[in-house]
Amino acid sequence: MSWKMDAPMVTLSDDATTLKNEALWEKEDLGGLTEDNNPIPKPVIWLVVLTVITAFLVTAPLWGQRPTAALYQSYVDSMDKPEVMAAKDDEDAMKMIVAMNKGTSNDALLERHPLTMDDLRMIKDQVKALEAKGVDMKDYTVVGNHVVIANFEGNYRPDGTRIRQQPWWDKGYTIDLFYLSYFFLAVFLIVKRLPPTTWQPRHGHGSH
Amino acid sequence: MLKYLMARNEDIPPGSSAVYWGFSAIVWFVIGTGLGAFNAAKLAFPDFVTGLEFLSFGHMRQVHVMAVIFGWISMAFGMAMMYITPALGNTKLWSEKLGLWNAFLWNVGLSLGLTVLWWGMNSGREYSDFPWFIDLYILCFMCIPLGINVWMTIIHRKTQGIYTTNWFFAAGTFMISIVLIVGNLPEYFHLTGLTEAYLTWWNAHNILGLWITPVAAAIAYYTIPKVTGNPLYSHRIGHLHFWSVVVFYSTPAAHHLMSAPLPEWLKSFASVEGVLILVPAIAFVSNILMTMQGKWNMFVENLEIRFTVTGCLMAIPLNMQGGFQQTRAINWYIHGTGWIVAHAHLALLGFSTFLEVAAVYLGMQTIMKRKLWSLTLGNIHFWFLLIGFTTYWVSMTIAGLIQGAGKIYEVPYIDVVIAEHPYMIARWLGGSLVFTGNCFWLFNMWMTARAGTVIPQGRMPHELAYER
Repeated sequence: MSWKMDAPMVTLSDDATTLKNEALWEKEDLGGLTEDNNPIPKPVIWLVVLTVITAFLVTAPLWGQRPTAALYQSYVDSMDKPEVMAAKDDEDAMKMIVAMNKGTSNDALLERHPLTMDDLRMIKDQVKALEAKGVDMKDYTVVGNHVVIANFEGNYRPDGTRIRQQPWWDKGYTIDLFYLSYFFLAVFLIVKRLPPTTWQPRHGHGSH
Repeated sequence: MLKYLMARNEDIPPGSSAVYWGFSAIVWFVIGTGLGAFNAAKLAFPDFVTGLEFLSFGHMRQVHVMAVIFGWISMAFGMAMMYITPALGNTKLWSEKLGLWNAFLWNVGLSLGLTVLWWGMNSGREYSDFPWFIDLYILCFMCIPLGINVWMTIIHRKTQGIYTTNWFFAAGTFMISIVLIVGNLPEYFHLTGLTEAYLTWWNAHNILGLWITPVAAAIAYYTIPKVTGNPLYSHRIGHLHFWSVVVFYSTPAAHHLMSAPLPEWLKSFASVEGVLILVPAIAFVSNILMTMQGKWNMFVENLEIRFTVTGCLMAIPLNMQGGFQQTRAINWYIHGTGWIVAHAHLALLGFSTFLEVAAVYLGMQTIMKRKLWSLTLGNIHFWFLLIGFTTYWVSMTIAGLIQGAGKIYEVPYIDVVIAEHPYMIARWLGGSLVFTGNCFWLFNMWMTARAGTVIPQGRMPHELAYER
């Protein structure tokens, strides 16, 4: 069971271990089943690499978050404008508010999280109360008719409050990186202890 | 079969327990899909069977799900383990008597569990609907004895190595016990709130990820090389598959709760791992399809291969869906809709069922040394299952997208119900087709046991399939 490190991409077992493994592999009859020693095909390796990259990109915390209270601040402010108050009905009023607040970097998010006038009425007082307290409105999310502290635990500010905003990178990703590294290292060590792929067992089938 | 329960282990013919497990599995499959078709009828036609509380959808849904998971799927696994584990070790099953008692207690426990669910006594936790005392019974009298028999058979094998299938069987029986212990802690210790929610979905996710998925795949690792006569394409890919299942499937429970107030870093961690379930899927599908080299004619000609390869191919859409539907970007739209129901059926009725059906066909014929009574009925069974399942999956996927749109754009609920109605009828038709196919299967296997042509010593059932 000795290790050999001179050609790690070929095998990590010394010659004696490899010969012993090859002999066992050829002789063993596992209920009439046999196994080949083919390498993991390159397309499979590339697919696995692609999957890992995709996994990080597609799950980026930037996507699919709840709307922050900051997102609706301008909507709430617009509610008190005379033209909105003079609108013939709620639907018309909401259309006006949406039109008034177009052209900012929040356009896509506002389109994704549309509200009705009833929704706005339910969060208006809560948003105003937070504004009066002078807090960072990005620290709060809108969940249904509640404006609540966001579920993030970021760094502490000098005043002792905690940043409650989605970082582009969080510790879940860091754990993932370590986890994946250990996994791929372990699988590499396991498969590279096998005989080199240039050797194939003869099972009496001829073609393999 | 019951007479052997009191017999000495040495007096019980090898394979007896596998036959008991196999027939039990088929009967539960008929019951489980019958209940499913009944439930689907209630959703398609709301006036169908009303006024009886125990037949209401709220009672019947859990009974259907548990009958299928613990009756059909798990007992088919038991059958495969009782038959394949010793075969791969060139040995006998460690204890036929334990195997028989295990199957007997499995049937008793499940019947008891389904009865209490029917009465309306449940834990309120999806996929762990049984009350705590049934959970404890499942652990102690169903799963642990199965694991003991599998592990002891592997320990007493007459080979030096352990074939890939037995890695999964051994790990699967170990992991399901851990999942049932940890996953049901909220019921044993009355844990509530987020802890309960998290453990509920850790349990649900891992019943699929650490029990159903790996054991179903393990069966394919046996069926394909055994029936085609080809060596398994790559032992190395087997390693990649096995370890990636254990590592990546065990972690992403939080991706079932992307909108819950769990720590966001936990969701990020789980979501990445959730996409990485594609790694074992890639390994599994590539290894099985490469093993088929030179034998693709059997995909058309051979019933077991047709079932297995179809199930294997279903792993592709299954994991593409599973990997991406949990991400924040997609989950907000399809969460809580029929899309998820369609996905769950792709996993259980598509991917895993097709692999298990193949194992039961192959195993039962081999152990009973009887050729399938009617290949025509076998073929009808395949097509009823495939067409029925596909109808179900497509209709529920569409219904889910409609519900998602209705949810996001706040369409009045009754309008969504009306829009979904045609798809609910299609769902019922698909489910009924599956149920009908399974009735044919039960009849066919019963007749195989009673009147199937005897398979000569040293021959495999599939070698004789087209001989009359």
